[in-house]
Amino acid sequence: MQISRRKLLATAGTAALGTLALGAPAVLGQAKPRVVVLGGGPGGATAARYIAKDSAGAISVSIVEPSKQFVTCFHSNLYLGGFRPMTELTHGYDKLAAAHGIKMVHQAAVQIDRDKKQVKLADGSMMEYDRLVLSPGIDLKYDSVPGWGREHEEAMPHAWKAGPQTELLRKRLEAVPDGGVIVMIAPPNPYRCPPGPYERVSMMAHVLKSAGKTKAKIIILDPKETFSKQALFQEGWEKHYPGMVEWLSPKIHDGIKSVDPKTNTVETGFESYKNVALVNVIPKQTAGKIALGADLANESGFCPIDPASMKSAKDQNIFIIGDACIAGDMPKSAFSANSQAKVAAMIVRGELTEAKTFPARYTNTCWSMLSTDDTVKVGGRYEAKDGKIGAVETFVSKTGETADLRKQTQVENMGWYAGITADMFG
Amino acid sequence: MPTNFAVMAGAAILLALQHAGQARAADAAFGEYLSGECVTCHSPVGADNGIPSIVGWPTDQFAAVMSSYRDKTRDNPIMQTIAGRLTKEEVEALAAYFATVKPSRCQLIGMC
Repeated sequence: MQISRRKLLATAGTAALGTLALGAPAVLGQAKPRVVVLGGGPGGATAARYIAKDSAGAISVSIVEPSKQFVTCFHSNLYLGGFRPMTELTHGYDKLAAAHGIKMVHQAAVQIDRDKKQVKLADGSMMEYDRLVLSPGIDLKYDSVPGWGREHEEAMPHAWKAGPQTELLRKRLEAVPDGGVIVMIAPPNPYRCPPGPYERVSMMAHVLKSAGKTKAKIIILDPKETFSKQALFQEGWEKHYPGMVEWLSPKIHDGIKSVDPKTNTVETGFESYKNVALVNVIPKQTAGKIALGADLANESGFCPIDPASMKSAKDQNIFIIGDACIAGDMPKSAFSANSQAKVAAMIVRGELTEAKTFPARYTNTCWSMLSTDDTVKVGGRYEAKDGKIGAVETFVSKTGETADLRKQTQVENMGWYAGITADMFG
Repeated sequence: MPTNFAVMAGAAILLALQHAGQARAADAAFGEYLSGECVTCHSPVGADNGIPSIVGWPTDQFAAVMSSYRDKTRDNPIMQTIAGRLTKEEVEALAAYFATVKPSRCQLIGMC
């Protein structure tokens, strides 16, 4: 709705003003509606890019992201396995910012004032928004594994946020002797990248085997009774790394009682693992703390959303995408975040510029590497149904597939990485 | 009378042509929205980094390939899932959109 200044003045002081102002697509007296995006990962970068690109300058878009160089968590297992250098996983924002006029704010956001529609930054300054897109990813629950905490992430790395921790894990992996034991403590549901821990184990075994350390052993202590692509991983471990990987469900290990980072000991109800060469603790996770601080999460630690729009169930001006949200049947993955970002971007444009909107549709695929030229995938299509994002159709690779198909799936995996990073960063 | 009839018929044809033009434009715009689902993997400028280029194809070829995923004569499960859920109108919109996208120059000379 367009309102001329004259008409606005003519109706000022009447009850009509409030109605008209509320009905206007942009805030009156303001040049452009403002969208602030918190987080520059697969969710945030994609949302910012699509809002800015498709609104062609009609919306002011800012990304608040502390890092100037973003290291993708997706494919960081391939770095661990020696299949990709860290440089290939590292991306800047210059192209994204320049191509679409997006303002980069390289600071941490510390607080959201939902009433004033403001974000407070680490330096104390405030950013105002008409719509906020929240894509903070996960935070780690440092108190979820007894004996382990933030101060122990050097001794027992998590490497569940990519960067220095990933490089540390690789160094520690290289130092594991033949006959050495690695213990991975896998996370409880829900967590970032469901097949990720098991792909990581595959990559660890690949590095050990390639170095001739076939007497080394990887023990997975899992709080879950089953895991993603389980049959595929277990078949792959048997085929490529016989005797090197042991997966223990809670029924077998009887609970993870404690870890001791000083002595590299892991205690379960069933056994005590002493002098472990490498302990990889992947703890319980929650939505990024900025979301928790703004009371946008529920008791699960993640944020409920409207499945048709990706809007927070608690705030009509905030969209929550990626790992931080409760996305029903969709896993927490980069692909999911990218898909959710496009729905949020469309709705944001619809609300701020009256752009046409269409029913939300979502897609995901997760590839996992078992060994050289042996990759599997799982994925599906999703839409809003029964009050959540529900799976419409899913697929998963089959056990016993041909070597040619597995090799082609790895080619596709690499192609996807090129595709999604171009879709995020331009 | 014949003259009037001719004018009316001419106007009707003109109107029909205009509608057809608007329909094509709308299809491509809808297709551009739908293409968000494709470009997570496929390059929007036609690069092939392990996933084939889908830009600049004749629309009938695009529709035929999608149809072969839908009836599962092509066997990539991701594409079967995607194609199986698209309506005829959606496939046409995507075909119309991607047909308008030119492969980037670097792609044409193989220097991307």
